[in-house]
Amino acid sequence: MTELTAPNVGAAPTRSDRRRKLLQNLLRGERPYMLYIAFVILLVVFSLSSPWFLSVDNFLNIGRQTTLVSIVAVGMTFIIIARQIDLSVASTLALSGMAAALAMSQINNSWVVGAVAGLGTGALVGLLNGILTTQLSIPSFLVTLGTLSMARGLAMMVTNTKPVIITNETYFAIFGEGTFLGMPVPIAWTLAAMIVGILLLHYNVFGRRIYAVGGNPTAALYSGINTRWVTTAAFVLTGTLAGLAALVLSARSHAARPDVVQGMELDVIAAVILGGCSLFGGRGYILGTLFGSLIIGTLNNGLVLLGVSSPMQLVIKGAIIVAAVAFTKR
Amino acid sequence: MGGAEEILEPSGSVAAQPRPPTPLVMVSAINKSFGGVRALRDVNLEVRAGEVHALLGENGAGKSTLIKILSGVHAFDSGAIEISGRPVAFDSPAKSRDAGIAVVYQDLSLVESLSVGDNLMLGREPLARFGFVRKRALMVQAGAMLTQLGIPLDLKATVGSLPFAYRQMTEIAKALMGEVRLLILDEPTSSLTSDEVRILFDAIGKVTRRGVGVIYVTHRLNEVFEISQRVTVLRDGANAGTFVTDDTDMKRLVNAIVGSDRSTPAATRAEPQAARPVGMSPVLSLSDVSNDRLRAVDLSVLRGEIHGLAGLIGSGRTEILETIFGLRPVERGALEIEGRQWLPNGPADAINQGIALVPEDRHVQGLVLDHSIERNVTLSRLPYFSRWGWMQQRAAAKRAEAAVRKLAVKAQGASSLVRTLSGGNQQKVVFGKWNDPRPRVLLLDEPTVGVDVGAREEIYGVIRNAVRDGSGVLVVSSDLVELIGLCDRISVIVNGRVARTLVRGEIDDAEELHHLLQLYQAGQDASKGAPQELPA
Repeated sequence: MTELTAPNVGAAPTRSDRRRKLLQNLLRGERPYMLYIAFVILLVVFSLSSPWFLSVDNFLNIGRQTTLVSIVAVGMTFIIIARQIDLSVASTLALSGMAAALAMSQINNSWVVGAVAGLGTGALVGLLNGILTTQLSIPSFLVTLGTLSMARGLAMMVTNTKPVIITNETYFAIFGEGTFLGMPVPIAWTLAAMIVGILLLHYNVFGRRIYAVGGNPTAALYSGINTRWVTTAAFVLTGTLAGLAALVLSARSHAARPDVVQGMELDVIAAVILGGCSLFGGRGYILGTLFGSLIIGTLNNGLVLLGVSSPMQLVIKGAIIVAAVAFTKR
Repeated sequence: MGGAEEILEPSGSVAAQPRPPTPLVMVSAINKSFGGVRALRDVNLEVRAGEVHALLGENGAGKSTLIKILSGVHAFDSGAIEISGRPVAFDSPAKSRDAGIAVVYQDLSLVESLSVGDNLMLGREPLARFGFVRKRALMVQAGAMLTQLGIPLDLKATVGSLPFAYRQMTEIAKALMGEVRLLILDEPTSSLTSDEVRILFDAIGKVTRRGVGVIYVTHRLNEVFEISQRVTVLRDGANAGTFVTDDTDMKRLVNAIVGSDRSTPAATRAEPQAARPVGMSPVLSLSDVSNDRLRAVDLSVLRGEIHGLAGLIGSGRTEILETIFGLRPVERGALEIEGRQWLPNGPADAINQGIALVPEDRHVQGLVLDHSIERNVTLSRLPYFSRWGWMQQRAAAKRAEAAVRKLAVKAQGASSLVRTLSGGNQQKVVFGKWNDPRPRVLLLDEPTVGVDVGAREEIYGVIRNAVRDGSGVLVVSSDLVELIGLCDRISVIVNGRVARTLVRGEIDDAEELHHLLQLYQAGQDASKGAPQELPA
């Protein structure tokens, strides 16, 4: 079976070879062409069909609406490349937001305390997910299905489902309403998460380990990689980013509510898969994830502008996700 | 190896039967190209009913392509295939199967969570009404089939729990279910011990006596002489000769395989190399090391020594390597590395101590197939290519290129995906993981399984270079000829214990070593009331 490729060594690829390779790359999503094309098609379709779509304000709007999914999707990219899944991200976000708001209301109304509490809570849930997955060898699908429920329940319990009001103006400015280099801060935070993700995944040893653990966990172990530690770290990263998203959301709405972003994990996972990650692990890249979440955000926005009913939006979104994954599956 | 008489006997009786006038399979002037590269050029092959026809050639010679054409995976470009005189052209594996062609690939295709019986009957389960499976009838039918084939397997054993060799035999039994006229075996013995090879050859003998033709692909030339009646050699996608086995010898076959311009025939590996001065200080020593699979193992590897571990599958050979590499706990006993006490605490710890492992199953344990050579080669040495955790991409790429060059990996470059390489080149990549820095102790588990003759020689060269540079090598192999050709000392492992250590010169004949293994195993079984780990 190995012989098909052996004769190719040294032979110059013919034009038809190259064309076929390009096509394969397109279909498999190994290169992001398909993603970019899909994104552009989406933009063109919505621009032609809605007079309100093509404007700076609306694009900023899309950016803002995409923030939460984008930030969390950076972490999910690591998780999925490592051949795991995290269903608990939306609940973690809700719990982290409650923790941030409550900590601020209890301790000095300090934004630092809020930020630490929010990020720390997210990291802790991630750590719990990681430890349960790696030490007890429970599939992460089941572990995070459990923590999805537990985190949401905890978020509701702490205030008996009541929202917690936030009053710290600095907190609003830093995470929700200010601008940084002319960008609304939520977008700046998204870019920051993306950059950290790109550096960690593509330029750090941690990224190499993540790819190896997802590509072949046994070979990674035999190469001296602590696969449990690496997997756990991916969960902690994702939890922390869910905490960051919670800060952005609560600063924007001046309050933390325990029932926010229910079901967001599906958008996050869809964005990552659309972005070219393989559910079988070992493949994916952060930039793909960014475009994956932009596509999801643009779809949400465009369908609203077109006046599509919200049940119909769900159907269309689901169909587009399945179609995209069918194209990008390996 | 031994027992050629028993093996040749059944096939000899076939030769006595009147042979049908037309051959079972006639492949004439087959051509096949992949994207402008010609994989097969006017290839001919004739297989008679009841014949074992060996198919030889290096990786890349076209064996696999030819097999894939016969099994309907690929279509051919021009030429003709006839089965019993009727021209055929398969456009799907199902068509090939309907024509009575069964293939056992190197890669296993079993459902690990099901039992042997369930696997054998998969897709042909005896059904009651409403699609319910008649479990008892299924087991009875599968059992009858196994008895007829003479393959000793426990029908109720879960395939996933079986040693590799028994999975392979399950695979072969499965291929023989149904009406088979041509059986194609692609390197079936690459992971079998000599006893299991014997069982397999017996089974092949039974099959050929029923008039089934067998195409037998292998890299082990001695097997060709044991079971085949004729041999066809492919080289660079073309015929390099067809021989009657009895009228040829190893030298001629090797010449046909590698071409006359290659001066180092594989057969020379059986000739012991000149004695090499070996350092007297052990780089690694084990004393009284015990755990759930090992019983008081005493063993030492000297600097510059190649130390072999011989034993049957399940004897604990692999487990010794795994224990040293930190994959199994040491429950009792001690290890010393260059005179220092050390207790392995996981693979990372072992690697830090300068220990390297080339594992038994390169696809599962050795490589990330979907990643590039560069990623694979650097994986085991990441701390060397990072500063404060940041990858030094250029240093990593450089190292990978160096490994590719040094080990002569045939690939377009270090960015080629490992999946696209041939078996021998994949194995070189696994060696490349430990190329630099030089390991103190190199642990090798079946280093040449599924590796063609040429690459095999190159891998022996790599091993010898490693010891010349001062590494100690501990090598497990089922290929006793390989062990004798390679090793300074050979330890015989029986039931998790070192039964005896032989020094070079004590034994220089694989046959003799084989008998010794049998002797120790038999003694062990007799004295211990045969605590059999393997299903029988």
